[in-house]
Amino acid sequence: MLKIIDQPRYVCALGAMQTVQGIHRGVPVLHAGPCCAQKLAEGIAGNNGNSGYISPHIYPCTNISEKETIFGGEGRLKETIENALKVLDGDLFVVLSGCTVEIVGDDIAQVVSEFSDSGKPIIYVETAGFKGNNLEGHQWVVNAIIEQYLAKQPPKDKIKGLVNIWGPVPSYDPFWVGNVRELEALVASLGLTPNSIFGEYRGIDNIDKVPQAEFNLLVSPWLGLDTVKLLETTFGTPYLHCPTIPIGAFESTHFLQTVGAFAGISSAKIKTITQAKEKEYYYYIERNSDVFLENRSMSRRFSTVSNAADALSIAKFLVNDFGLFPARQYITDATPEPYRDAIRQYFKEFQYGIEADVLFSTDGYLIHEDIKKTDYFGSPLLVGSIFEKKLAEKLSGNFLAVSVPIKERLILDSSYVGYRGGLKLLEDIYGYVLRKFN
Amino acid sequence: MVAKKVTQIAIYGKGGIGKSTTTSNLTAALSLAGYKVMQFGCDPKSDSTNTLRGGTYIPTVLDSLRESTLIKPEEVIYTGFNGVYCVEAGGPAPGVGCAGRGIITAVELLKKGRIYEELDLDFVIYDVLGDVVCGGFAMPIREGIAEHVFTVSSADFMAVYAANNLFKGIQKYSNTGGALLGGVIANSINAPYSKDIIDDFVKQTETQVIEYIPRSVTVTQSELQGKTTLEAAPNSEQAKVYKRLAEKIANHTESKTPKPLDVKELRDWAAKWGDNLLALERGEIRSEAAGI
Repeated sequence: MLKIIDQPRYVCALGAMQTVQGIHRGVPVLHAGPCCAQKLAEGIAGNNGNSGYISPHIYPCTNISEKETIFGGEGRLKETIENALKVLDGDLFVVLSGCTVEIVGDDIAQVVSEFSDSGKPIIYVETAGFKGNNLEGHQWVVNAIIEQYLAKQPPKDKIKGLVNIWGPVPSYDPFWVGNVRELEALVASLGLTPNSIFGEYRGIDNIDKVPQAEFNLLVSPWLGLDTVKLLETTFGTPYLHCPTIPIGAFESTHFLQTVGAFAGISSAKIKTITQAKEKEYYYYIERNSDVFLENRSMSRRFSTVSNAADALSIAKFLVNDFGLFPARQYITDATPEPYRDAIRQYFKEFQYGIEADVLFSTDGYLIHEDIKKTDYFGSPLLVGSIFEKKLAEKLSGNFLAVSVPIKERLILDSSYVGYRGGLKLLEDIYGYVLRKFN
Repeated sequence: MVAKKVTQIAIYGKGGIGKSTTTSNLTAALSLAGYKVMQFGCDPKSDSTNTLRGGTYIPTVLDSLRESTLIKPEEVIYTGFNGVYCVEAGGPAPGVGCAGRGIITAVELLKKGRIYEELDLDFVIYDVLGDVVCGGFAMPIREGIAEHVFTVSSADFMAVYAANNLFKGIQKYSNTGGALLGGVIANSINAPYSKDIIDDFVKQTETQVIEYIPRSVTVTQSELQGKTTLEAAPNSEQAKVYKRLAEKIANHTESKTPKPLDVKELRDWAAKWGDNLLALERGEIRSEAAGI
């Protein structure tokens, strides 16, 4: 049956171009039609991080036309790669294919293989829109780096205490830069050495270190599981899966305990670290508790309308740390079916036996209709994307945009991860509550 | 002055069934009957019009597209036997690109150029390759291109299967102003049962046989000379058959939506004919006379 998606909250697999852009000096080379990159970038990043050393405005692109569609575009791709290598000073070139060239059957692998002696790593990923969305595309890009680049490097020794961090998706997670940094800081606080391939000045050097890690740390409910499993089979690196991105004291302490235990760090040492962080955290909460407790313009019930990672982590924070009660939670990232039961289970594991009902849906209209029918026992809190703004206003509710499309916020390095991230999230939620009241 | 209406006809059928041979002879016969005719080969092999031009290949529409999106008529339209206009859509090399999209582009380019009107044509005959495997090869039967479709089929099951598939394509586009089916050109009809099989198929699918064309060595001899039968053996019996076909098509006005068989119906129909042919070999009498 034909279905129109109201309020798209993700884009097609070619959107994984921004995963490549998220790698410092990574260059996406697009084998696609004109304007694909511009539209996808607008759909994902919007205002945030849409320019830089390499940006969607200057991605090398074959801009295929009718001529390449009929006769095949392999020659045009070859020419584009040749010229990209000449004029762009990059460290990793990733060829990404769009719909049309996949339909007409261009052999991208063959074209890319002709550049194996170019002196620069160059790989390819088939990211036709009909094959999947940008989250799947993100995973394909990371896996292609492992299979086509890292697996072909000479074996290296493991480095004690080195931990690869996987989870935040560049651009699709508007806070990804800050989130990666905060996850690194948490891991580093345990005395481990974090290694992330995304963000400023990490790039190819950190990619090269990936096989040397003592273990891989995945901080995401489902996205990235394929990657850490691939790293396990390719390099024999074990992995730790933490489904919840830690926000606030409760989850951050739990996170440090889990990672520390996996790394063989003594519980006494972990406790010393977490106690110091909690002490600082609760100082800020305590001195503002009147705002939270005496406030009459926000009920205690909330819904998240977001991808699985944000919905889970924000719900965990608002329930376990902050004492709110979850109404239905809406997951909009087209989570693949095999992961859904596990995610439903995560939403049944709040403190005090509290459980949240979860609805997986990509249809914003249906989600909004469902929210309208829900009794939040007062002014609800909706945490989602810009699409929920007007709905929140209509319901006299409170609102915070945290996931794409976000549009109304400029995000430089801020993050909701970790102890400080919890404080930041409260600042943003109650900033709206106080603005509305005053 | 009201411009003359160009009658556009598409000829389909399974690969190797004799489409280009039939189409070229039809084109030649229409031309000899005094009509201004263009044959438009819609096959990347680009050999539809060979026998109209002494066995030679011509540059294609898509060859021109490689250089420019503006088509110069003199680069793609060539005259052949008795002044017929020959055009080949062309297409990518085997294994690359999208031939279907090529057909769409080539047909659109000529249509946009209003070339048919400028040449004051009576007929444009599209000779389209094999099965309707994707939307590109259905282009000639979409709205605003051909009005009538004829399918060339022998009595072989795979040819009938391809014809039935084509009927499905016609049925699909029939609601949106696409071309309708004029009938089946029954080719290579020599054995008596061949005619019976085709007759039964058109009856089941509610269409008609427009002409029966016997298999003939004259056709082979003509093609080996790089010529149509109309050119190489104009007074032969086979030439008369093609002239009869041309006359019927020239006078054809009303096409219909066929009723293609579904997969099971087609299989059952083929199985029934399998039994009949076996019985025929054994000398059993299974006709209406069996009851006498």
